[in-house]
Formats: sequence, structure tokens, C-alpha cells
Amino acid sequence: MKTYKILSALLGYPDVETLAYAEAMPEILRQENLLPAEQQAAVGKFATTLARYNLLDLQEQYVALFDRNRSLSLHLYEHVHGESRDRGEAMVQLSELYHLHGLEISARELPDYLPLFLEFLSLLPAGAAASLLSEAVHVVAALREKLRQRGSDYALLLEAIESLAAKAPDVAAVAEVLSTLQPEADGLAALDRQWEEEAVRFTAAPRPDGTGAASACGR
Amino acid sequence: MSHFLDRLTFFRKNVATFSDGHGVVTNEDRQWEESYRQRWQHDKIVRSTHGVNCTGSCSWKIYVKGGIVTWETQQTDYPRTRPDMPNHEPRGCARGASYSWYLYSANRVKYPLIRRRLLELWWAERANKGPVEAWAAIVEDKAKAKSYKQIRGLGGFVRAKWDEVEEIIAAANVYTTKTFGPDRIAGFSPIPAMSMVSYAAGSRYLSLIGGVCMNFYDWYCDLPPSSPQTWGEQTDVPESADWYNSTFLMLWGSNVPQTRTPDAHFYTEVRYKGAKSVVVCPDYSEAAKFADLWLHPKQGTDAALAMAMGHVILKEFHLAKRSSYFEDYCRRFTDLPMLVMLEKRGNAYVPGRFLRAADLQGALNQSNNPEWKTLAFDSKSKEIVVPNGSIGFRWGESGKWNVEEKDARGGEKTELLLSLADTQHSLAPVAFPYFGAEAPHSFKTTDHAEIQERQTPVREIMTKDGPVLVATVFDLLAGNYGIDRGFGGGNVAGSYDDNAPYTPAWAETITGVPREQIITVARQFAENADKTHGKSMVILGAGLNHWYHMDMIYRGIINLLVLCGCVGQSGGGWSHYVGQEKLRPQTGWTALAFALDWNRPPRHMNSTSFFYAHASQWRYEKLDPEEILSPLADKSDLPRSLIDYNVKAERMGWLPSAPQLSSNPLHIAAAAKAAGKDVATYVADNLKSGALKFATEDPDAPSNHPRNLFVWRSNLLGASGKGHEYFLKYLLGTDHGLLGKDLGHEGVEKPEEVVWHDEAATGKLDLLVTLDFRMSTTCVYSDIVLPTATWYEKHDLNTSDMHPFIHPLSAAVDPAWESRTDWEIYKGIARAFSKVVEGQLGRETDVVLTPILHDTPGELAQPFEVADWKKGECPPIPGKTMPAVAVVERDYPQTYAKFTALGPLMEKAGNGGKGIGWKTEHEVDFLKQLNGTVTKPGAALGQAKIDSDIDAAEVILTLAPETNGEVAVKAWEALGHITGRDHTHLALAREDDKIRFRDIQSQPRKIISSPTWSGLESEHVSYNACYTNVHELIPWRTLTGRQQLYQDHKWMRAFGEGLAVYRPPIDTKTIRPVEGRLTEERKSVVLNFITPHQKWGIHSTYTDNLLMLTLSRGGPIVWISEDDAKAAGIVDNDWIEAFNSNGALTARAVVSQRVPAGMCMMYHAQEKIVNVPGSEITGKRGGIHNSVTRVCPKPTHMIGGYAHLSYGFNYYGTVGANRDEFVVIRKMENIDWKDGPREQVTTAAE
Repeated sequence: MKTYKILSALLGYPDVETLAYAEAMPEILRQENLLPAEQQAAVGKFATTLARYNLLDLQEQYVALFDRNRSLSLHLYEHVHGESRDRGEAMVQLSELYHLHGLEISARELPDYLPLFLEFLSLLPAGAAASLLSEAVHVVAALREKLRQRGSDYALLLEAIESLAAKAPDVAAVAEVLSTLQPEADGLAALDRQWEEEAVRFTAAPRPDGTGAASACGR
Repeated sequence: MSHFLDRLTFFRKNVATFSDGHGVVTNEDRQWEESYRQRWQHDKIVRSTHGVNCTGSCSWKIYVKGGIVTWETQQTDYPRTRPDMPNHEPRGCARGASYSWYLYSANRVKYPLIRRRLLELWWAERANKGPVEAWAAIVEDKAKAKSYKQIRGLGGFVRAKWDEVEEIIAAANVYTTKTFGPDRIAGFSPIPAMSMVSYAAGSRYLSLIGGVCMNFYDWYCDLPPSSPQTWGEQTDVPESADWYNSTFLMLWGSNVPQTRTPDAHFYTEVRYKGAKSVVVCPDYSEAAKFADLWLHPKQGTDAALAMAMGHVILKEFHLAKRSSYFEDYCRRFTDLPMLVMLEKRGNAYVPGRFLRAADLQGALNQSNNPEWKTLAFDSKSKEIVVPNGSIGFRWGESGKWNVEEKDARGGEKTELLLSLADTQHSLAPVAFPYFGAEAPHSFKTTDHAEIQERQTPVREIMTKDGPVLVATVFDLLAGNYGIDRGFGGGNVAGSYDDNAPYTPAWAETITGVPREQIITVARQFAENADKTHGKSMVILGAGLNHWYHMDMIYRGIINLLVLCGCVGQSGGGWSHYVGQEKLRPQTGWTALAFALDWNRPPRHMNSTSFFYAHASQWRYEKLDPEEILSPLADKSDLPRSLIDYNVKAERMGWLPSAPQLSSNPLHIAAAAKAAGKDVATYVADNLKSGALKFATEDPDAPSNHPRNLFVWRSNLLGASGKGHEYFLKYLLGTDHGLLGKDLGHEGVEKPEEVVWHDEAATGKLDLLVTLDFRMSTTCVYSDIVLPTATWYEKHDLNTSDMHPFIHPLSAAVDPAWESRTDWEIYKGIARAFSKVVEGQLGRETDVVLTPILHDTPGELAQPFEVADWKKGECPPIPGKTMPAVAVVERDYPQTYAKFTALGPLMEKAGNGGKGIGWKTEHEVDFLKQLNGTVTKPGAALGQAKIDSDIDAAEVILTLAPETNGEVAVKAWEALGHITGRDHTHLALAREDDKIRFRDIQSQPRKIISSPTWSGLESEHVSYNACYTNVHELIPWRTLTGRQQLYQDHKWMRAFGEGLAVYRPPIDTKTIRPVEGRLTEERKSVVLNFITPHQKWGIHSTYTDNLLMLTLSRGGPIVWISEDDAKAAGIVDNDWIEAFNSNGALTARAVVSQRVPAGMCMMYHAQEKIVNVPGSEITGKRGGIHNSVTRVCPKPTHMIGGYAHLSYGFNYYGTVGANRDEFVVIRKMENIDWKDGPREQVTTAAE
């Protein structure tokens, strides 16, 4: 599915090749017709606009946005696991998923890099892709929100990705990611919330999701 | 019967509860447990450690699964100690445990970054020019250069390709070398012991091209100048296990549980064993909880406390009642019996220099170096003898440089006389300086006269210039302490309650510590040492060493240890754990690091003087040397300003220079040839005539300042850069928050030796390159940022002074994203340089100036007077009265070939260190077999390869005595030749041990005893500094060959520091210039600004670590007392601003009972990259802790060419003290995050 691939390319570090193909992107999007009309138009416009910019301007903006801001990191687990030890394990599992599909990461990137993940999805059947994407859609939605607040056009891309997911993002999950992304706005209370450990209960039955008595460990 | 049918015969029920309902049995699917099991599965475990600037060298297990680091845990397999001694494990602290966060953090530098404006300029020029011409076109065009320099720190990075940035860096280096000279390229990297191969990568490249390696230890102010002054030793300390051998521990200005966490267990354990623990610290620190008694003197007055304790010890254990152990120790191992000539000053005398053999008729038969042999009286014959071991015996002869109690003339046994009071003597009034009558701000003073005359036992002797009075150091020391010995006269104290310097009552006034406590601690400390023969120890640290007069505080404490015979004894001594991070295999490493295998000497520079001159901090100097000179000083021939002292020290060969001369050092040899002179003569003649000048004489001239700077393994601008705002303005040419005016605008007297430009040069650096794995403050200000491998992504070596093991860093995984190891990065730059330099430079002759170095024969330069060739007091003689001049051939296109191979000088010239040399053919041969040899034609053909970081590690391990037993035996043999004693037994048992890189990956290995260090690695004693001096009778590397409590150099005496004295902090005068900005409506308070190390950063991690930020306050904080907070209307967690004429910083207030009134604490190295709002007073982003400091060098640290007071890299030189600073603190009204676009708000950081 080239739509995923296009989104992957547009969300990557701007380079000559992407810009060269940008003009052709709206047409491919239209042919595939995976995106709702509104998003199709928006992404198409983003791509054609991109092609008219000075590459260095785009790159400088990209570095300032995504390389220099932890809160806008395009590494999904930055927003799920943050600095927790669970992050390594989660990345291992994601790599194994790629393995199962006969893929190995050849670029020097981490498995949770959103453009990389999108490229992976582009190789899957539409249903499978949409369903896998929905597991990460709350992060995508939170990033979209953050970018929108900054007035960045990149929000359009995230919105388009969001629309490809099988499920709409869970509002509470998005709010949780956002709260961790805005420690300054909420001050110390947000940090406390994020770090507060759940009280250990010794007698309750484990929850179906596998957490429960041991849930406080590993935070 | 009734239950029969209910009872089951074939089944039993699946009970739902047990243990009275406390247990539950359930039967649902247990697959969820899989995820838990999987979570702890891993493919491999790799050993590594963390290297921020931590002395821990803690072993960590790094777990790797699917090529990803999943977690780390402490390793527990250190080699055992011995019975009745706790083991080292577990080591590792919360900071280290939080480290792996960086590995995959969004904050990581993932790609090479370059300032976009610079890249555009480069593309434009490079399109039609060669690399060097393109660089020239950019930096020679003022507007172009300014366009990228002025936005440093303001964002604007783009990713770059490795080969492109390598070419840009190479072009800048080649251009700078060709146009101005290779010494205009400098590199700063600290603490090589943390990752010695990574350090060596950069320093090897710089040393090959003739660039400058800058030292860190002095700049960090972690170097204790008192150590070279007393022992001729940079720093040598007991390992932490030796605390367990102590029976009386003092923790003085050091915070062991907080900053030395992995070692603190030895302290805890020895307290259980019954050791007494006294903690001295002005604030209620973590260390205070270790105390049986907590003393809290006013910050910075510790010297007064130490002097009063010395007063008690000297009186009770050396005069009233005599400890035979102390007396024996002082007679044999200290300069106390040595004779000092007295100089007439008015009606009294002042202590002059040590009497030397050369002063006497016939020089007491000493033909070799009689000017450098100190003398004493024999206690039986009462005649003058020439004791073995003074520095005159070290060079030019052999067999008598030892501290056996012998008269060197005939080898007879001699017992030296400590005090003339015990024999025939007369009394003379000797004048001592007193500095406690004046002090800045809130520091207490007493109204004693600044000159204190005290009756002292003396004897007249006949020298070849006539009769002079001499006194022993012991008698002068007793006089200095103001003890009434019954000689009559004034200014002495008979009682501890007398108000006279340096009684406990006097110290109570200055420090606030009750006199009873001072007396008790001193008495018990000495009593313990007397009974145990030296098992009293002082652990001391940055809390003391970062004051301007740190050497007075330290020497006050060293006096206690030496007078009680503690130094060099197991469980006793001086334990300074600040930043030196002992590089144990030093002599193996220096060869690699400074490319000594290809050319010698390398260019070294003391960073404090470098940044003082080139960050233009001298232009704001407010400290008049007159303020700190002794009232007894002869001021006639002393310089007038601090920079003048520095310039004088450089031209006399005392301190190094970088850049060195006013002209390109690649052009000097040709000019000498044209003039028909040899190079050294040419340089000397032209300096004399004025045709050549030192670069420091005009640091603002375009040809004289540094142009390119590499920073790696360091956060120069976010942590250690004292005078941060001066760096920004002058070196970088960008936005800054400097509030003061320079000397020109103040309209005051200017330095004499330095050219004054009304308009100073700004933006001196054309290129700032930083290697890091996180976007530190330094990266933010750099032109090019290169992503490095972290400590789990590279192979390297690590050693510590805290334990005796050598430890690896290992590549558990490949460097993430586009990062590379430091070794590979500099290799890449060397490759690019070799290519770009083709056609620009070829075989060149470089003229290198080196100062007179410690541990070389040159250190015997000027024995008596300070003769300055520029004033016509002597001719300029290279290596004697001016820097040595060496010619170094550089084959620039061969730089890469040389970088990656071990050069031929190792076999030709041998290896060595600390004045001992040995041959290395055997080791070089071994390396050729181990690493393979170069087959490519060129300079390196047939040489051993150093291709990978492991190859480099093997070079270090093979060449160093500490890791190669065969070399250790050779080194001890070489030393034995000089001392006339056999020391090889110290290493023979391990002669066949060869520690290799794979060995230490499987387990940390204990290093082998070597003469590079003064302690032993043995199965019988823990490592203790100066142990071999006391037990093997190897002299200390000082003038007298003994622990030297008296410093007789002319400048030492001029500054009143011949003997330890109390000196209050200096007045930095940074508050008055900003007083005009203070208003009645806004309350404020003026506080002493202290920057200790913290719990949530520094050792083993950085302060932008989110885990640590979360445990702290999430951003920069300043601790203040409840009283001061109240006075300034500040409550806990308020945003506050701290400022003075140096600049301003913003932070949150932590209001705490921990802090005494009058001071505030801002933890070191809180950067401006996390949660720093704009400053109200500067309008720029708030600064870092160093925004309110400015470095202020001390002239006594510039002394050189004088035995132990000679320059050495990280050994002696000016230090970057910063604790005497004061700031105004007030609550902020507007919190401006300055996060709008650059055009609207010019922020000071991104």
C-alpha cells in the first residue's frame, strides 16, 4: 500500500528523493483511495507544498521539531514507555514481529520509529495494517495534537495516519500520553502522577491483562 | 457415619482457599506468566560501566536481546579482598542504573549535525573551490563568518553526512595549520581514565598534526596544588577499601555517601568496627549522618579550623609531651629538620630559602647539583650534614636518591635535628604574615596585626657569602602556629583561650566552631595516630579545594596528617577524591594518547590560563595582586596584574603557551635557517629582540588566538566553563548575559605586559566541534555535533583511584543510529585530513615550545632567584630560563597512516614516565604479533597496527607496567638504579602476568604495582598513597625529597604561603557593579555562591537524565537557608534569579534548614537545556551555574622550573577556583520561557 509508504516518506527526514517524488504523490493517494477524501487532499497538498520549499529550510525545521524535542519524538515507545526499562523489551518484541513477516531492519534505526513502522505496514494487507496501526493510534493522535498546538503542518500527516487505523484512538489513552508530554504545563503534579506507583495489593486476583499484584514492578 | 457419603474416595476437591482464607487457588489461564518470563530472557550479558566523571568504575552487567539493550544490573564478581576485609561489591548507584535511558532516548544525538548557515556557505564556496580554499573564503569574509557565529546556541541545525563534515573539519584544520599554525587548533577532553581509548583518539589526532591538548584537572579545580607542593605528586590517594583499615576518619568537605556512593559501604563497615567518625561540612549534608561529631564551620574558613587543630597537636604531641612515633616520622620523612636561611627585614627576620650545599664553602664536597641539595644538623654532632634524597641527587648521579637516614658525603648514618631549641641556639624575632584582619562580605575578621613577630631559636653559620642565621622548618612551623614555647616575646599563646592566631579560641571567632570541639577532635585525632602509628585519615574534597586559597586549606590539613605520621601508613593519610580518576596504566597510555610513538614532544596547555586569556576573562580582572601579597613581600620586581604574572611565567618557561608564538610555528625553522642559526638560538634571539613574541602578549590579535576547538567526552559550556558568559561573548561571538564592564570601560589601570585593544576580538573560534551522545549545552553552541557511541556501544578501558582494578567498557550493541565510537570518529577525521592536506602541506618542520617539566632534569632550572631574561636579568636559555625549543618533523599527508599504527619511536627512544625510562622492544614485538603489521607502503609500513579500539586498548595494556608484569619489573629496576635500592621484589611475583582486553571483559583485574604510583597493589595491604616512600624509602619528588611543609620559592614567600596560614576568601567585587539595578521594592539578598556535586547527576549520569530530574525538582535549583529566604521574600519552589557582574541564572529555590545563612548552593552542571526560563536582568535565557563565575588565577600556581613546583600536564598550574563568588538572589516576577520564533525573541539557547 503506497499510501503508507508515502506517509512514511513524508514523515521522514526531508531529502532530495522525497521532494522529487512529492509531486506524484497526490495521484497515487487518489488511486489507492485508502485515505478519506479530506485527508487525501490534505496530504496531497502537504506533499506538493513540500516540493516548493527550500530543502534546507525543511531539514532545519525537521531537526528542530523532531530531533530536538523529546515530546515530539517519532519513536513511538518514547511516549509509551519513556525512560522505563520496558522499552527495550517492547522494541525486541516489535523486531520479532517484523521478523515474523520476513523483514529485517536494514537502516540504522530503532524498530519503533514511526516512518519505519509505516513502511512495515505498507507491506501488509490493508486489514492487518489498519488493525496493527490501531495499537499505536493513541500515540499518533497525541503527536497530532502536540503538532497542531505548535501550528505545524506535520499535524496533517499524523491525522491522516490516524484515519487509517481500524479503531479511533481511545480518548483516555490520548489524554494520558498528552499529560506525559506536557510536564511543564501541568507542573510537578503531572510528573508525580506519571511516577506514582500503584499500591501493592496482596490478595486481589490478577487482572486479565496480566498486571495486578506485580504491577508496581518495573516502572 | 454421617460424613461417609460426603467424603470423596477417588477425588479431592480443588480447594478455593487455604490458610484461613489468606491463600487463594485459582485455575485460570496462566499464559500471562510467559510475558514475565520473556522479559528476563536475554541473548547475552556484556560487562561495561559508566563514564561521566565518576570514580566508581563499577562493574555492570548489560543484558542484550535481539540486538537491543534491555536492562542492566550490578555485577558482583570482583576479585576477593582478603580475610577480615569486606569485598568491593556491590558497586553501582542509582545514577548508573538510570544510564541506559540515554541509549534510546529521544534526546540522543542520532546524526552528525551542522549549523545550517555554515553548511550553505560551505556548499556555495565548495561548488567551485577546493576544501581549504572554500573554508578560507568563509572565515576570511567577516560578514560570512559572523552570520553563522552569531547564531551559535540559537538552533538552526540540519543533519549532515559523515564524509561531508569530516571534509569540513579537515579543511578548517588544514587552513588553520597553514595560515596561523597547528597550535591554533585545540582540543578539550577531561578525565582520560574514564575511557582512555576515547580520550586518546582525539589527543592522538591533535598530537600528530601539532594541535594542543588542554588539561582538565586544574581547570576543573579538582587538582589540589597542595599535593604537588607537598609531595611532588599530582594526586595519589588510598583506595576506598583502605578506609576500613583506619581507626579515626575525618570527612572534611567531601560527601562520600552522596558522590562516592559505591564506596560508602567501606565507611559504614569501619564504623561498625569501631572507627571514630568526624564530619566537617558547613551544611547538613548527606555526609553529616556518618558523624559521631559534626563540625560546621562557616564555609571557606576551613584553614582556620585546621590551623587551630595543628596548634593543639603541635603543642600537645610535639612540644609539651613528645610522641616518639611522631618525632621519628617527622625526622625521617619530612622537611622539618631542614635548615632555612633567615633574611633581615627591619629589626626582625623573615624566613628565606632553604640552605643549600652550594651556599657553603666547598659545597660540602658536592660537585653534582650542590644548588639543589638541602641541609640539616646532625643531632649528635650538631654539625651540618647533607641528607640523602634531596632533588640534587635525583639527576646527574645515582644511588643516593633515597630517604635512608644517611649523610650523602660518606654514607654514615645520621639522625637529623628537628629543633634548635634542643641544642645550643640563640633567639631571633621572626616575622610571620597574618591575613585574617580583612575579609569580604559576611566573613569574620580579627584585629591582629598583619605582621606577627615571634621569638624563634636560630643559629648563626658561616656561608661562602658571610654569616647567616638559620632555623629549622620545625621551629619556624611552631612559630607560625603562635605557640608559646617559653622564648618570651609577644604574639604567642600560652592558653587555648587566648585570642591570638591560631588558637582554638581564635578559630572559634572565624569559623563559629566551639573551641572545645576543636581541641577534642585534634587531641583524639593525634592520640589515635600515636597509638596506631598513623591510622588517622582525612577524606577531603571539592568543598575545600574549589576556594581561591584552597592550597592553604589543604596544607593546613596536610600538616595535621604529616605531624601525626599518617601519610603512607595503612588506614591513614590524605584522601582527596576529586576528579583525578587515576589513569593507572598511564605510561602505556601516554604513548598512544600523545602520539609519542611518532613525535615528541606533544603540545600541552593548562586550560585555566588558556581560557583566562582567550575567553578574555582577564579583561575584567578586579583582583589586584597587591591585595593578596604578604605584608612582608618585596614588591619591587613583581608584576602588577594577574595576566602579567601569567605572561611572565610563560616566557620564563614556567607555564605552557597555546597558541605559542606570534608567528606560525611551521615558518620558524625556515627563518632560522635563512638567518644561519639553529632553531633554539634563533627563537631565543628573536624573543630577546622582540621580533618574536608570545601569543598571550596580545591575545586579541587575529593571528594569536585559537581558531578551531574540539570538545569530546566533555560538556565544557554546560558544566566546567567558568566564566560561561565570557566564553559566549569572546570565543563564540554570540548572545551573552555579561553584565560587567571591562577595564577599558571602567577606566582603570591596564596590565603592562599585554596589548590592550579597546575593541576586543569576539567570535575567536572559527569552528567548534563537539562529540557527544546527548544534546548537551556545549553541543547546542557548536558548529558541528558528531554523534558518539555510548558506554554500551564501544570498547574501552576504565580505571579508578577508588579500587585497584582495571575495567572495560564493552560494545554490548552497535552504536545506534549514525553514531560512531570516538576512535572511529577521529580516525575518520585523520583520514579526511590526510586527503585534504595533499597539495596544501607536506613534510613540514614544526617548532614546539615546552615549559620546564616536572620529573625531568630540566626541573632544576633556577635554584635561587627569579631571573627574567626580558628584564635583562639573565640571557634567554631554552629549557633553563625560557621554554625548551624542539623541532618536530610532521609528514602531514601521512597523518592517517600514523594514527593507525604504532610508530618507531617506542623502540628507538623507549618509554617511561615520572623520570624513569626503560626499553620496549619486547612489547613492541609482541604488539606486532598480536595486532598484526601494516602492509601498505608509507610511513607506517611494517609497524604494529592500531586499527580498532581494541587494538588501541592492547597497546596501552602491553606497554604499561601496571598491566604487564614484565614491564613492571623493568620499571622498578630502572628506579632502583636511581635510588640505589632494589625494588623489584614489589613486582617479581607477577612478572608473567599480562593483562589483555579479553581478560578484563571476563573479570576486572587487579593491576600490578609500578613505580608510577606511590602505593602498592598487594595481597597484604590496601593501596595507600606514599606507602612506598615510607616503606621502600623512595624520596618524594620534591626539592628536599621529603614531604615539604615549607615552600621556599620566592613567589611563595612573597604571597605569604611559605608555611600554611589562614586566608579568607578573596573579594571578587562582582556585586557593586550590579547594585544600581536593585530597587527598594524588590527584596533581595547577597549570598556566597557554592557549587557542590549533587545526588541527581554528576557521577555516572548527567542532569538532563529524566529519571534523576524526576527524583529532584525537574530543573535547575538553588538551595538557600530559611533565614535568607525570609529576608528576600522567597518561599520554597519559587522561581529565583541569581546574578552579579558576570551574568545571571534562573532556577527554582529550595528553602531548607540544611543550608546555613549567608550561602546558597547550586548543584554543579545543571544545564540550560532543561526548564530554564529567561533572565529578567539580562533579557536572555538564564545561564548555568558558571554564568555568575569568572576564573581568577593565582600567581603561586604559575611557579615553574623549581623541582616539584614545575609544570606537568594535569600536575601543576593555575586552577579554576570559583567558590569565593557572591551573587544577588531575588524572586522573579515574570517567567518568560522564550519559546517563540527566533526573529521575535533572541533567546540565549534553543
